[in-house]
Amino acid sequence: MKYLILFALLAGISATATGALCQEAPTGDQNPAQQPKPYQKMTAEERAASTRAFLGLGAVPDKAAAALGAPLFNANCAVCHGRQARGAMGPSLITSDEVLGDDHGEKLVLYLKDGRPGKGMPSFAAMPDEQLKEIAEFLHLQVEDIANRGAYHVLNILVGNAAKGQGYVEAHCMSCHTTQTFAHIGSRFRSSEQLQKGWIWPPRTGEDSLAITATVKMPTGSTITGHVTQVSDFRITVVDQAGQTYVIERGPGVEVQINDPLAAHQKWIMTLTSEDMHNVTAYLETLK
Amino acid sequence: MRLAGSICATLATAILASLAPPGAHVSIDPNAIGKTPTISWTTFNGDYSGQRYSTLTQIAPSNLNRLGQQWIFRITEVGAQRGAPVPIIKCTPLLVDGVLYITIPDHVWAIDARTGSQLWRYDWVDHGGHLVGQRGVGIWKTTVFFLTPDNWLIALDANTGHELWRKNYADARKQYFSTAAPLVIRNHVIVGVGGDAMDMPGFLDSFDPETGDLQWTWWSTPRKGDPALKTWPNEAASDHGGGMTWMPGTYDPELNLLYWPTGNTNPVFAGQGRPGANLWTESIVALDPDTGKLNWYFQVSPHDTHDFDNTTAPILFDRVVDGKPRKLVAQAARNGFFVTLDRVNGKYLVVKPYVPLDYSSGLSPQGEPIPIPDKDPSVGGSINIVNATNWQAPAYSRKTGLVYVNSVEGKAIYYLTDDSAQPSGYGGTGTGIGHLNRVLQAIDPLTGNAVWRHVYPNLDDAPTTVGPSILTTASNLLVTGDDQKNLIIYSADRGEILWNRELAANESGGIISYILAGRQYILFGAGGTLYAFTLQDKNQ
Repeated sequence: MKYLILFALLAGISATATGALCQEAPTGDQNPAQQPKPYQKMTAEERAASTRAFLGLGAVPDKAAAALGAPLFNANCAVCHGRQARGAMGPSLITSDEVLGDDHGEKLVLYLKDGRPGKGMPSFAAMPDEQLKEIAEFLHLQVEDIANRGAYHVLNILVGNAAKGQGYVEAHCMSCHTTQTFAHIGSRFRSSEQLQKGWIWPPRTGEDSLAITATVKMPTGSTITGHVTQVSDFRITVVDQAGQTYVIERGPGVEVQINDPLAAHQKWIMTLTSEDMHNVTAYLETLK
Repeated sequence: MRLAGSICATLATAILASLAPPGAHVSIDPNAIGKTPTISWTTFNGDYSGQRYSTLTQIAPSNLNRLGQQWIFRITEVGAQRGAPVPIIKCTPLLVDGVLYITIPDHVWAIDARTGSQLWRYDWVDHGGHLVGQRGVGIWKTTVFFLTPDNWLIALDANTGHELWRKNYADARKQYFSTAAPLVIRNHVIVGVGGDAMDMPGFLDSFDPETGDLQWTWWSTPRKGDPALKTWPNEAASDHGGGMTWMPGTYDPELNLLYWPTGNTNPVFAGQGRPGANLWTESIVALDPDTGKLNWYFQVSPHDTHDFDNTTAPILFDRVVDGKPRKLVAQAARNGFFVTLDRVNGKYLVVKPYVPLDYSSGLSPQGEPIPIPDKDPSVGGSINIVNATNWQAPAYSRKTGLVYVNSVEGKAIYYLTDDSAQPSGYGGTGTGIGHLNRVLQAIDPLTGNAVWRHVYPNLDDAPTTVGPSILTTASNLLVTGDDQKNLIIYSADRGEILWNRELAANESGGIISYILAGRQYILFGAGGTLYAFTLQDKNQ
């Protein structure tokens, strides 16, 4: 069986990598009305704010002030503490008590004015308070960039060899797919990262050809076939072609046969190598 | 008259006793803490072994058709909390003298076990910390111990809920936060901590239950002068190396050893700044509970770069191996390996994958899985397994000799988002690919092989944290659930589904069992509701 339109409707809606994989999602009783906006559907800013709230990260850095503080930090502090304040000749500042104990410069400004002469840190009393506050905000933004994993961004993930990727696709994919499957695939996703996830495991949302289907044989001998919207050990919910929903208790005599159009992908994911993944993504990215 | 008066007095006393607050007599002898749970449940795991095995047999396969809800307690007075839209009971309840103690972040309830009615509630107003969960209280004499998100150890009067004293042990501004249940051993209240956002070192603190005085601190990473520093590039990396202690350990009173699982290394996904094994993160450590001194360690994930956060319970049990009685400890680790060790000395018997994985090139002479560097998170993405399990409790059955764990099989792409020489924080991220399969496994701890497996049918991917928890009983029951709101009872020996009941939410904390007024109960939290199940009369 061929899945000619496997990728046709993939609009790049899969979740971006956000560090959500290993952290707990804040979900509770499974009442959809109580659920907040899904993490995957948030904007980058909303994700960062959501993660900030979830982690209890405290005061929000003033980004505008931090931008003004960046050149001041580079000119005055980076030589000892590194450009990102992670330490050089002097210690890292991002895990320091002084920085983490401050919200918006109320303590740090005074500290910077005093310096730490005994340890080789000069006094910055000559700088205006406003500039010291901007340096403080710059430091808080460095902390935010580390502590708020909801604000992380992947780097340029196009590290593969496109020619090798083409070879891989020709050798491994064409028994099920045709070149039509891959036409313009590189322009269908918002980012390379979404392309990489999307070609390996296409989202099923809005793509009927990828829906999991089932044939349920009832004790009476009749059968129901359709899209599965829920399945557990005890119940299966099937919507047939006419749009009729069947909620079936999986009692004695009920036989369920489930068909997953992505079963072949599932099997192959378990052995896919990172190098092949990189190469194929690099190749598909060229198919604009 | 005299006789009648005497009868009246006796009756009056009886009536007074029944009218008195049922919780007004809670008191536990420290020597009774951690004993096999029957009429009480005195520690996070019921006893010190981590087995979560109930010796009770009243509820049995033959009468499960009568198992039904006796009462529920629903949390209605706490609304949305920071980052948590609805309350979720993630604790294992304790039971002492007919009073149940349950928690969510910032709140403790004492509940009459006979009726499910509230006796008292304690509310804390936090100043920071992560409200991701709260695993329950500890108890000693007439004092209940509770940990807050912003790292306060609170001592409460078990009978009134009045605060006796409080002690802060970690700075929430450094992203330390607390979700743990304190573990009480004799005169020690042992407190673990969480928080891996800011590259801080993990530790365990032991406090005096009477005064709250600090008795000792054990750091998860070596300090100046320690030979284990050779597993770190430098002292600064070790000082910021993580290894949080947010799940309770287990304890062997005969050996007087405390077994604690330590969490993931920091920076989490970006390991390029910390070459080496990074002791004692990602380990099982055996400590002297009186001094906090390390006796032995076994590192389950040397140089972790996948947030394998080695926090599942080290379960203690004794078996005869090759004709010799052995004291063992087993763990279904989050890195996908099943580990069985001699708990006297930490030497390994079994180290074997229990989910499909290909990131290890073999075992070190000590039995530690050797990671393949190519599987580390990379800028272009690296495929590796998702966490094979999480904090929800596994169990052991003394009847079957098997360890039970709810596991996940599947893969994710791990990206390095900070490729600098000095990464910090998480430094990377992961996103699942393919279907993540939830599988209940019954593993023989002497071979590492699954004796039976139950794959939970599911359309959706398994949630990123894997539950529910597990309880086993001497009547061959295994109580757990799926992620579609069903509480399920299996036969522990064969994995057959014997019973199920749909709830309002997934089972979300620990499952306990006890005898109260002659009846065996199965009690657990699911979402914001505490459920008490027992055998119902046939005519009901």
